Amino acid sequence: MTAPAASEIAIGDSLAPFSRVVTQEQVNAYADASGDHNPIHVDPEFARSVGLPGTIAHGMLEMGILADAIASWAGGNANLVSLACRFSKPLLPGDTIICAGTVVSVDDAGVATLEVGASSDRGDRLLTNGRATVRLSR
Amino acid sequence: MPDQSHVGRRYSAPGQRIAPESARAVAQAIAGTDPVREADAVPPTFAAVYCLGPTLAQLFSDPEVGIDLAGLIHGEQSFEWPAPVHPGDVVDATAEITSIDTRRGMTFVRLAMEATRPADQAVVCRATSLMIVRAPA
Repeated sequence: MTAPAASEIAIGDSLAPFSRVVTQEQVNAYADASGDHNPIHVDPEFARSVGLPGTIAHGMLEMGILADAIASWAGGNANLVSLACRFSKPLLPGDTIICAGTVVSVDDAGVATLEVGASSDRGDRLLTNGRATVRLSR
Repeated sequence: MPDQSHVGRRYSAPGQRIAPESARAVAQAIAGTDPVREADAVPPTFAAVYCLGPTLAQLFSDPEVGIDLAGLIHGEQSFEWPAPVHPGDVVDATAEITSIDTRRGMTFVRLAMEATRPADQAVVCRATSLMIVRAPA
């Protein structure tokens, strides 16, 4: 996989549409794989006891999906240079995460900066204030 | 509760091995029912496992700081990957508390982390985290 060529990327270009249903099974799998077993992600009763509507997905799982969306546009994980975001609202298992991104600048070294974020199919803004940088090919 | 006096505390987690099976399991969990895009690569946000996890675990169990896990929220996260990391690599992770602010009953703990691969001295990840601790009800 190769990165998009710098000469072919313009300010205003967008990521391809990218959405993924996040199931409780997937959240459980992420808990096991990452070692983050905080009960707010896997134990509905505990989650409700701390004022949540139920379990919530790990923010890092959501950010991982956003990174996946960007890396697939960028031609691979190795072309993703940086990624930052705010975890604004939690993702509830069963919801679909919808990732988006727009190129806001391309520098002389061929690095594109994108404003990125994610929302849910119920309209919640999940990941906000997102920024990513991507290494383009020359 | 965390306070200003804890700024500058450092946590160190040397010798974190990027276990291939663990990187693959995280990539699979991120993919869900979709195919994994790069099955033999380390997903970028696997830095949560080799850099954040082991250092934050020390913060969360630091009795001097006394963070109440029940009220903890991951507020913001940034990553920068200056060099690629590969399955099987071993990295040293460090974290430092860079600021602590309290407002509206919430405490905002900012940290800066770094993961370095001793084999070639390459920095493979720089990260910042914002952890928000809600006051007990």
